[in-house]
Amino acid sequence: MTDEREITLTVNGTEHTIEVEPRRLLVHAIREDLDMTGTHIGCDTGNCGACTVLKDGEPIKSCLMFAAQADGAEILTVEGMEDLPEADDIHPLQEGFREEHGLQCGYCTPGMLMAGKALLDEHPDPDEETIRDAISGNLCRCTGYQNIVRSIEYAAEELENRAAADGGAVAADGATDGGPAASPEGGHAAPEFGGDADTFCGREDCCGGPDGADPFDRDALLDDAGDADDTADADAGTDANDRGDTK
Amino acid sequence: MKSAPFEHHEPDTVDEAVSLLESLDDPTILAGGQSLVPMLRFRLANPDVVVDINGIDSLDYLDEGDGHLRLGALARHADVEDSDLIDEKYGSFADAAPLVADPQIRNRGTVVGSVAQADPKGDWGSILLAHEGEVIATGPDGDRAIPADEFFLLPYDTTLGEQELITEIRVPEPAPTEGSAYHKLKRKTGDYAMAGVGVRLVFDDDGVIESAGIGMTAVDITNARATDAEEHLEGERPSPDLFATAGELAAEQSNPESDEHGGADYKERMVDVLTQRALSDAAERAGTVTVQRRVTQ
Repeated sequence: MTDEREITLTVNGTEHTIEVEPRRLLVHAIREDLDMTGTHIGCDTGNCGACTVLKDGEPIKSCLMFAAQADGAEILTVEGMEDLPEADDIHPLQEGFREEHGLQCGYCTPGMLMAGKALLDEHPDPDEETIRDAISGNLCRCTGYQNIVRSIEYAAEELENRAAADGGAVAADGATDGGPAASPEGGHAAPEFGGDADTFCGREDCCGGPDGADPFDRDALLDDAGDADDTADADAGTDANDRGDTK
Repeated sequence: MKSAPFEHHEPDTVDEAVSLLESLDDPTILAGGQSLVPMLRFRLANPDVVVDINGIDSLDYLDEGDGHLRLGALARHADVEDSDLIDEKYGSFADAAPLVADPQIRNRGTVVGSVAQADPKGDWGSILLAHEGEVIATGPDGDRAIPADEFFLLPYDTTLGEQELITEIRVPEPAPTEGSAYHKLKRKTGDYAMAGVGVRLVFDDDGVIESAGIGMTAVDITNARATDAEEHLEGERPSPDLFATAGELAAEQSNPESDEHGGADYKERMVDVLTQRALSDAAERAGTVTVQRRVTQ
């Protein structure tokens, strides 16, 4: 047998020290040792990308590296998306997946979100080909790529709109991958859902804008990611209306 | 699946790594791990000892020096993909990098690791052959340069010594009248090549092909050179007919196997097509000529 060793992983801004065997995969450390099951294991062979996380800002497949190799690294998982500086209640990418119906069964979604996040950090205004390249390591077996592309486009637009509205204060280039502590936005009055023209997605055939009723009521799917946050109470009203907090 | 237990060593320097290789019993070297980690997990590989070289910062480079393009053992596929130097001067590398696996895997996987793995379906071996590059192996007695032609023996088997670590691969810096290219056929992103061809052409001042290198992927038991096609090209001026014959010769020299993705005949035909395309791109990049492609499909 081999000895366990102590490693430190900073996941979503929080430092964790755990003991792992050398053979412990990063994805198992995240899911089983840290109890963060948002990062999925799809294929177990390195093909599907469901286990994608950002390691020091770069997307990698967490089933293809050992936890010990990530000792000292900063890891971002889907659980950390809502606490990023560019997130309101949920991250614009998550918002995009909701608005554009970017998920069906949802299994690939965490990986898609992380791949999308890595893309937008580097290319805030990607064209379709660039988006498709960026998610080419992620498989969706519901054949939902078209809507996933639209979801990421939505997020890119949303981030751009916010950057414009805030005079460029929002880090659309996502230079900071830190957790909550790194948030320059904090409780800043970033555009909320509420009929703000700045946040209207611009598509007539869409949902009627961000404050329109969502006929498919898919909101609950994302609620787990969104409701544990500590945003100001003032937001709670619009949240309940817009996101139909029906758990 | 989980790997069998193993001892994990993380040297900080090449010297330390080499002395570990010397003292440990049958160690396996772990670099990017994008092939090795699945092999460990499926227990296709069961080493007792793993020497993880990811902490050897001195091996993380991609630069030019000593008249060569040099890639250290920790240069990732993504480093090649993102390099301006590669974009400017090394067409075959620039072609191949974005075709390797997928973005996540390119962030971790290393070029040298891919060469060391010696999977006949790996892309970089063909490019190393086409450029007549070298593998720099560092062992207890210091460095030795292994010519690409003498490196690959069998699938997953090379002439690297048991106590040696590949610290670098290198290819000669291109002459002003040189061009290179890589073409690959694969079913979808993330798949290995069904067939791939890397080409390097050096022209003399009169536009005659002085030297040609062609490496083929996934159509033999190792990455292999298309020597008949190379000889046919040397001393000639580029033309569609010349490239068409070279394509046929490369196809004849290839030995693909039929599998679920295609029959051997089909793959040979693809070698022909990919060779012509790569030759055409390489000639164009050399800046001396533009050769109309006969095969446009």
